[in-house]
Amino acid sequence: MTLLIGALTLGFILSLLALGVFISFRIFSFPDITADGSSTLGAAVAAALIVKGANPLIATAAGFAAGFVAGATTGTLATKFKINGLLSGILVMTSLYSVNLHIMGRSNVPLLGQDTLASYAQSIGTHVLGGRTSLNIGGWEVSTVDASVLVLTFLAIVLAGLVLFAFFQTNLGTAMRATGDNSQMIRALGVNDENMIILGLAVSNGLIALAGAFLAQYQGFADVQMGIGMVVWGLASVIIGEALVGTHQLGLTICGAVMGSVLFRLLVAIALRVGLNPNDLKLITAVFVFVALILPSLMRKLRSRRSGLSYARHAESHQGI
Amino acid sequence: MLDMRNLTKVFNPGTPNEVRAVQDVDLILEDGAFVAIIGTNGSGKSTLLNAVAGTFFVDAGAIFLDGTDITRWPEHRRARLLGRVFQNPFSGTSPNLTIAENLALAARRGLPRGLSWALSAKIKEELRARVRQLNMGLEDRMDNIIGSLSGGQRQALTLLMATWLKPRLLLLDEHTAALDPKSAEQVISLTEAIVTRDRLTTLMVTHSMHQAANLGDQLIMMHRGRIIQEFKGAEKQRIRVDDLLARFEEVRRADQLDETAAEMLERTYV
Repeated sequence: MTLLIGALTLGFILSLLALGVFISFRIFSFPDITADGSSTLGAAVAAALIVKGANPLIATAAGFAAGFVAGATTGTLATKFKINGLLSGILVMTSLYSVNLHIMGRSNVPLLGQDTLASYAQSIGTHVLGGRTSLNIGGWEVSTVDASVLVLTFLAIVLAGLVLFAFFQTNLGTAMRATGDNSQMIRALGVNDENMIILGLAVSNGLIALAGAFLAQYQGFADVQMGIGMVVWGLASVIIGEALVGTHQLGLTICGAVMGSVLFRLLVAIALRVGLNPNDLKLITAVFVFVALILPSLMRKLRSRRSGLSYARHAESHQGI
Repeated sequence: MLDMRNLTKVFNPGTPNEVRAVQDVDLILEDGAFVAIIGTNGSGKSTLLNAVAGTFFVDAGAIFLDGTDITRWPEHRRARLLGRVFQNPFSGTSPNLTIAENLALAARRGLPRGLSWALSAKIKEELRARVRQLNMGLEDRMDNIIGSLSGGQRQALTLLMATWLKPRLLLLDEHTAALDPKSAEQVISLTEAIVTRDRLTTLMVTHSMHQAANLGDQLIMMHRGRIIQEFKGAEKQRIRVDDLLARFEEVRRADQLDETAAEMLERTYV
């Protein structure tokens, strides 16, 4: 049960990552790998501020802001300086490694005993439940800490999803979606598409940094290595989400990204439980994304070959006559 | 209204693929004029239009619109004054957005876009009303994505979008070339209706001699990046498709002689 709750909580936290990746990869078709750096950046900023005694809410918001700036930087490199999008992300991601080390002062910042959003959640949960340290859900003993962190994470993600959903239906958000869809058209309608990409990547990396800030407070530390592979994880979640909802309607795709993230974490938890070597996790995730990316064209090829075969057979039978 | 002076645009300068797309072109459009541009492939007619639209900056010359020098304005800034319809019916609309969302984007062409709802109840009603005027039954499909529509329907919507806020200048870039004859006919009559109703100053590039002869009040023929002939007023109204074909045949013949041969002939006989 603890395992399940842990996977769910992690899934919800990383759904912010999935939403960020959804914005860059799906809305803008921009292969933004800044995420590996900006997720750590969010964790680093939040952790460093919390250790200095800042309010965890403010520290988390600062993490978002830092990711926002990182994303805007990638966007600026790609649009104003015309650097290849992938390379822009690599440049920012690489420089963020040093930035993160500077912010944290060392490679790992523990948050044990500090006031964090997780400890806030715990005290709220204990208060609501009248001081009990565990509760009984369907015969399972669940600690108040785990349950309250899960519930509050869930609420935070629902809020983030709703805000994003609303934003994409404003004039600005609609223009942003159209920029990724048809940049020629949106320029002809008087929108500076470069600024849209910069703002979009900023929001995307802000969300990803927010995921990092939550993650650091949930697991109790920030580590300079924690961002490695985040892009691929996010992409895997988005792909699973698309398979789940199977439509391009905005609200459903946002729900799909969240659901995909949760399902992905559940699958990972189960795989680890049955004995998967944790070291293989990133390799297997990458292979999964690879398969998911080539599957559609592979299916098409297979289908056309089959119809090609039937055509050949048809021709042969004609020759026989 | 629109004043182009000595416009020159060279693509791939200094390479074997150098193309002098537009050479030293002067053109003035009066307020309310409907000008058709016709020319052979590679004559520079679309380049001239795109130079006005701001798809690229010209190498030399200047463009004035209402007396303002817009030569160095980026494309999105010029869009405040321009309505555009492209040759490719897929270029003018955003395929994964709904009809209503596309139109709502056009309803704010050149205006700042903030955090108010793109589709408020009020604007939705207005969108429906104006789409109903197209008589295509699209007003009942406002929440369908535009990618699900036919090329003709998308081009009609693009035209509606380009003229939603009355533009100072409407730019049409062979906007019926990719359509089937029936859709092309529909889009052309819609174009005529809108241009007449709103008295729009219009610059239309066309591949069709028929359109060039029958539409508009001014006709420009281009060849090898230059304007070779201009018909205005009564002269334009007299022009028939055959006259245009004959003029193009002349141009084609002249082309068969290279420049040195032409020079030699001129020296010998003129």
